[in-house]
Amino acid sequence: MILDAKIPDGPLAEKWDRHRFAGKLINPANRRKYTVIVVGSGLAGASAAATLAEHGYQVQVFTMHDSPRRAHSIAAQGGINAAKNYQNDGDSIFRLFYDTIKGGDFRAREANVYRLAQISNSIIDQCVAQGVPFAREYGGSLANRSFGGAQVSRTFYARGQTGQQLLLGAYSALMRQVHLGKVTMHTRREMMDLVVEDGKAKGIVTRDMRTGAISSHAAHAVVLATGGYANVYNLSTNAMSSNVTAVWRAYKRGAFFANPCFVQIHPTCIPVHGDYQSKLTLMSESLRNDGRVWVPGKAGDKRPPGQIPEAERDYYLENKYPGFGNLVPRDVASRNAKEVCDRGRGVGETGLAVYLDFADAINRDGIETIYRRYGNLFQMYAKITDQDPVKQPMMIYPAVHYTMGGLWVDYDLMSTVPGLFVLGEANFSDHGANRLGASALMQGLADGYFILPNTIGAYLSCCTPGAPDGSARIFADTEKEVETQLARLLAVQGKRTVDDIHKELGRLLWDHCGMARNSAGLQQALARIPQIREEFWHNVLIPGAGKELNQSLERAGRLADFLECAELMARDALDRQESCGCHLREESQTEEHEARRDDARYAYVAAWQYRGTGQTPMLHQEPLTFANVTPSQRSYK
Amino acid sequence: MTLGQTVRSSVGQKILMAVSGIMLSLFLVVHGIGNSMTFFGSKAFNAYAEKLHSLGFLVPLFELGLLAVFLLHIFLGLTLFLQNNQARPVRYQMEKSSGGRTPGSRTMPYTGVVILIFLVVHLLNFHFTDHSIPISDIVRNVLRQPIYALFYLSALAVVALHISHGFWSLFQSLGINHPKYNATLRSGSLGAALALSAVFMLIPLCTLLIKEFLR
Amino acid sequence: MPSTKIDINLKIWRQENPDAPGSFQQYSLAGLSTDMSFLEMLDVLNEKLTLEGREPVAFDHDCREGICGMCGAVVNGQPHGPEPGTTLCQLHLRHFRDGDHLVIEPFRARAFRIEKDLVVDRSSLDHIIQAGGYVSVNTGGAVEANTIAIPQQIAEQAMDAAACIGCGACVAACPNASAMLFLGAKVSQLALLPQGHPERRLRALSMVGKMDELGFGNCSNERECEAACPKSISIRHIARLNREFIKAALFAE
Repeated sequence: MILDAKIPDGPLAEKWDRHRFAGKLINPANRRKYTVIVVGSGLAGASAAATLAEHGYQVQVFTMHDSPRRAHSIAAQGGINAAKNYQNDGDSIFRLFYDTIKGGDFRAREANVYRLAQISNSIIDQCVAQGVPFAREYGGSLANRSFGGAQVSRTFYARGQTGQQLLLGAYSALMRQVHLGKVTMHTRREMMDLVVEDGKAKGIVTRDMRTGAISSHAAHAVVLATGGYANVYNLSTNAMSSNVTAVWRAYKRGAFFANPCFVQIHPTCIPVHGDYQSKLTLMSESLRNDGRVWVPGKAGDKRPPGQIPEAERDYYLENKYPGFGNLVPRDVASRNAKEVCDRGRGVGETGLAVYLDFADAINRDGIETIYRRYGNLFQMYAKITDQDPVKQPMMIYPAVHYTMGGLWVDYDLMSTVPGLFVLGEANFSDHGANRLGASALMQGLADGYFILPNTIGAYLSCCTPGAPDGSARIFADTEKEVETQLARLLAVQGKRTVDDIHKELGRLLWDHCGMARNSAGLQQALARIPQIREEFWHNVLIPGAGKELNQSLERAGRLADFLECAELMARDALDRQESCGCHLREESQTEEHEARRDDARYAYVAAWQYRGTGQTPMLHQEPLTFANVTPSQRSYK
Repeated sequence: MTLGQTVRSSVGQKILMAVSGIMLSLFLVVHGIGNSMTFFGSKAFNAYAEKLHSLGFLVPLFELGLLAVFLLHIFLGLTLFLQNNQARPVRYQMEKSSGGRTPGSRTMPYTGVVILIFLVVHLLNFHFTDHSIPISDIVRNVLRQPIYALFYLSALAVVALHISHGFWSLFQSLGINHPKYNATLRSGSLGAALALSAVFMLIPLCTLLIKEFLR
Repeated sequence: MPSTKIDINLKIWRQENPDAPGSFQQYSLAGLSTDMSFLEMLDVLNEKLTLEGREPVAFDHDCREGICGMCGAVVNGQPHGPEPGTTLCQLHLRHFRDGDHLVIEPFRARAFRIEKDLVVDRSSLDHIIQAGGYVSVNTGGAVEANTIAIPQQIAEQAMDAAACIGCGACVAACPNASAMLFLGAKVSQLALLPQGHPERRLRALSMVGKMDELGFGNCSNERECEAACPKSISIRHIARLNREFIKAALFAE
């Protein structure tokens, strides 16, 4: 099968216009005769559902939370990028496009990324109109900051709660449509499977998390906006219930999974402090602007930081990368932190942390200045760790943060299953092999507010208006499969808890399919994952019953899918014998131990097709061509 | 929203509560000023009473108005109390303040009931009584009895508690809350409540302790 | 402060489903690290219960960063526990003493149904937002973002109000189970910003009307909501809601 991304013809800047003109529209009076299911109510899902409802479609929204406002988009701190060039500092749509595609290490489509940059400005307009309280200058105009090493100030923000404010904006638009009767909300419902008939998406099967009732929902199109799968690592910055299930079931029903191994690891998180740890907390990257990263020069040095003299400290980022120092990109900072810890020079109780020291900055700029810049972050750190970063260096460690991989979609955001659209972090998206800071919010909202509502019509125009046409039989069959799987899970009654097995999977993946990978480690992971899966299906212990609120059962179902997804990630990572974006492939390094990308062999999107239980999935390659930018190698030396 | 719906809504009831509260507070202030005539001797006090009664038909008119405001305040208080009780049918096993409540706010409905009882006694003592005797003597006759004096003192303490929350609360209900004035408003309300109560409480105290008071 | 190990005695409300009668059950946990969060303590308890073949305690939680608003329970009478400005997920055991007895109850209000154990249904808060907690602007219909200047202090005040995470602690803490702080935060945010002005009259009236209809109690200015709010949202926003209501109900044409 040749993957057709359906990129429109014409110059880069005109593609989106031309495409919207070429696409079929649906008569406004007819739109109410089409039902669209949206799964997930984060930035992408809520914005898409609200906008589709404004257009006149009947929308059914499903969320596993008690309210659509809980989605994990809410936790994004930093901001949202847009090419407004309010600061007159040389920004433009083309520069945002270029930065994004370069940040993704040239593993994303030019046309998609350019469209994202074009739309970015409308997003800000829309959010401001909704009453999102963005930060302002004294004169009343919108404020911007530079973020994640960008050369221009293009990031809009609402304190450290930008994701929250944008989500509440989309949520309020959604609530308005619920009030108007155009959207039906289904809360505490988990999507258990995708219903596919004649190769097309016809609806979904859900489980009511309060009662355990399984039910089917038919639609003309299904939109997945269910987020990323970083929780496959068990410990990540994602929310506890973020999962791969919806995406994974769609994959098993025929949607291709693209670039599963592209995972972003954030360098500045609060380190793990014990085996009871449930999740990792991100600290803003801006801390590296003034903090100096170091570890003791000798392995096993257990002295408190204050007693280690300057000469016996290793400021490894400054020493290794004199040009960029502590401001090297996320992946470089993360990789080096893991490297020093693996050599036994890590600090803290677990030895899995490095110092981020503000002493010099405080001596230089005074405590007040530093507190003004980072006060809220210092407080957050102190709240969690009970340590004052002013008195002793912070301890940080990398953590899994975002997954660039996801279901493969074409320019219309439609997957390889006709009628199944995928938005936000759930699709393989515009971030290539690495995502720039403040770009996730931009992509989620671009997909939901502006792209999908303009592309879904072309597909729907081919469906007959009226009641959705999936057969009763296919829904009954899919429901039965779901029931069978749940019954199987409950029947195991083994000796290990879901969390226990999840921890084992997470450690394995972190060790062998994390920031730095090599063939031997990935092979080892590929051999071990099926064993853990086997262990899970024979020894998991799930208390309670199926027809009730059962949080252990929910987690078990998600872990069952993670256990399969992990294998695909390792397989994809093994296939990609190049270092790119977030990942160092140890076999592909320069002589100075820096990442070496291999455009000749790997300038493609790896899209995997499911071929049944026990079968090796098939790899399809969508070649990436660059007509408007020239791929360059990154260098931070 | 019609006027009827407005006053039946939760915020509407609070506004009425506040407005009736303002009226009652104003009455208290006027009553307090009048009562302070006692400190100038029985002559001044009796003259003041005379002057009041000479206002003729205005007196019953004012009394009826006051009664209406009282009834409204009581009715609303009871309604809110009952509604609020229903809003949490199952109580917490362990109740502990998060730090917002004050002794005054915590006891509003109960102090309200105590004040109602006090009012009845107070009216029986001074209003529905033989008006051929000078008012200063009526006051003396009642408050020279330690049991009554104590009753008045404790009832007035309850009034102080009630208005210590009520004064501040009515500003908040009417939407008057501004960081620049909040501290002043809060301490001012508390101060006014205490000062007003002090004036009232001095009368039974003085009558009881000073033989020559109101003679 | 290095972490130490403490023992905690728990008394937790257990209720099988919305219609079942509930009761308190007692549990003891030993050797808990003081670096542990409150929810991690519940995780430890649940692992223990599961391995003992008993039903784990159901509780809502998600981001564990204090922003999603999913978690929340009443700990010794206080929603989200004793630390001010802190959600349950950000509350650490170092704030408790060895041997402490903790009573853990679900958020209680007529408008919040208990689903199971500590899990409550707070969809009534969504219904209040549906009644008008938005600006009616369709996607694409927005003017250029910098067209309307908003003074910085106003934007900051709006942000103070908008920080609400919708956890429902204000309702749980209010002696009257009133949702006025939740309402006030939203009405205030949109009353401060010019974008919210066209609908401000209707918004205040319909949101208050919806709150009453859903069975929340009345505000009696006890200030418990403000004290319990994990985002420390001020009752100043309730006062603004009252002003908006008065203007809309009594003076608007």
